[in-house]
Amino acid sequence: MKPVQFSVASKLVGDAAVIYPKGYLNNLSGESLVNECGIYIRRGITKIVVNFSETDLINSIGISLLLQIMEDLRNIRGTICCTNMSKFLHDTFEMLGLLQHMIVFPVESDAIKYLKAGTR
Amino acid sequence: MSTELKRALYNLSALADLGQEITSENAFHEKMQAVFYVITGTFLANKGAILSYDGSSKKLDALTQKGFTPADLVHLGAEELMALEKNEPCLAKDALFLAVIGAEVLVPLWVRDQFIGALLLGDKVTAGSYTAEDLELLKIIATQIAITLNHHSLFIDLSDKLGENHRLYEEMRRIYHGTIQAFAAAIDAKDAYTQNHSHRVAKYSSAIARELGWNDNDIEGIYVAGYLHDVGKLAISNELLNKVGPFTPEEVEEIRKHSTLSHNIAAKINFPWKNVEDMVWHHHERLDGHGYPDELGRESLSDGVRIITLADSFDAMASKRPYREKMDVQTALVELKKCLYSQFDNKIMLVLCKVLDKEIKGELPEPEILPNLDKNSDLTIISSLLEGIIAELSATQSAA
Repeated sequence: MKPVQFSVASKLVGDAAVIYPKGYLNNLSGESLVNECGIYIRRGITKIVVNFSETDLINSIGISLLLQIMEDLRNIRGTICCTNMSKFLHDTFEMLGLLQHMIVFPVESDAIKYLKAGTR
Repeated sequence: MSTELKRALYNLSALADLGQEITSENAFHEKMQAVFYVITGTFLANKGAILSYDGSSKKLDALTQKGFTPADLVHLGAEELMALEKNEPCLAKDALFLAVIGAEVLVPLWVRDQFIGALLLGDKVTAGSYTAEDLELLKIIATQIAITLNHHSLFIDLSDKLGENHRLYEEMRRIYHGTIQAFAAAIDAKDAYTQNHSHRVAKYSSAIARELGWNDNDIEGIYVAGYLHDVGKLAISNELLNKVGPFTPEEVEEIRKHSTLSHNIAAKINFPWKNVEDMVWHHHERLDGHGYPDELGRESLSDGVRIITLADSFDAMASKRPYREKMDVQTALVELKKCLYSQFDNKIMLVLCKVLDKEIKGELPEPEILPNLDKNSDLTIISSLLEGIIAELSATQSAA
């Protein structure tokens, strides 16, 4: 099976940025995920939702990149929400102890609702 | 599946990631960046650095790092790190200088007895401490990184040496060509009628060889042979070389010695090219076996000899001699054609005509024959003549 070239899309929903990584998060091309989040952070966005619906797999490189995003948000007292995670992703984050450092929702709309509620 | 088993699988997968990145075709710095991500992703480190030791400056350079400032890294003295156990993780609790810069663990990287650098990691993002399993895994990873850095260092050394050798070779080559051209200038200085003859024969011969598809090294060889083919004339008296009247049989015999003399001189030089001496020696041989000095037959004449022979005669015909005026280019071509099969090779003649025709039509980026021909030549007439010869010789060769 031909691997899907990793890519990132994003959109702004209210005051939150929703990021859509697509493909296996396993090499330097994953830096685009950090860069995409960085663009929003530099614009003053402190709430980021990462929708993993099109990313089933992640390796140590992907974890490192995700740590970078978490750290960037922590430095500005921001919030990271992860949604639509595959079982593999969820189990990996759980095993590594990362779930305590992010807010997980089954679907993107739940994360958006949560973040909206937090701004009231 | 238990958490321990999941963690073990994750660690195994990280080792596979490391191997993949180390053996990737990425540029060295990209490779190191990916390796660094593997490490920080495996140990969930909030800081880290891969440091490379520069033996000449005795300093550590950060190949890649996150979370440390340059000032932090200045605190790491190479000698201090060399005193630690080779490739063994050292925790901050055992080395105060690590705590000072906010590092949690350091592995000095060694390959055999050579200090390569260090791997530095900060605390875990998850606030956990490094377990014994973590340190075992880190040791394995550090060993792999040390070998990779060492290979890169060897590669750089080798590249530097290769670059230096290449530079020396080019310098030697330049001197070589300069010396050869000085020889040719000495020949020309003796014989006022053959000004730049050696240069032109070199140019024409290499142009024909190139058209024949010779490789660059062999083309350079025939270029040198073209320059040296008449070097034996240095041993012939000026009076004889510049004699206006007809030669006596003894004088002809004396003049004919020049090709063997050229060979004797050239044979003293250990050329890096094939057959230079042969091309120099036999440039007056003929296909019908009536040439000199050895009256060799066609089967004994290499393509190189046949090229030099034709180029030499073409230039001689198109140049003024003490005993005759120069021919125009088209007359010289017709004369050469008359002597095909007996004196000159028809295949080589065809190639000479093709090259010259291409040069006249501007089809070759760097013409080598045309710039040396009489500036008053009528190129339209020459081109038309060449087309006729090319058609005729091509048809003859196809029929054969």
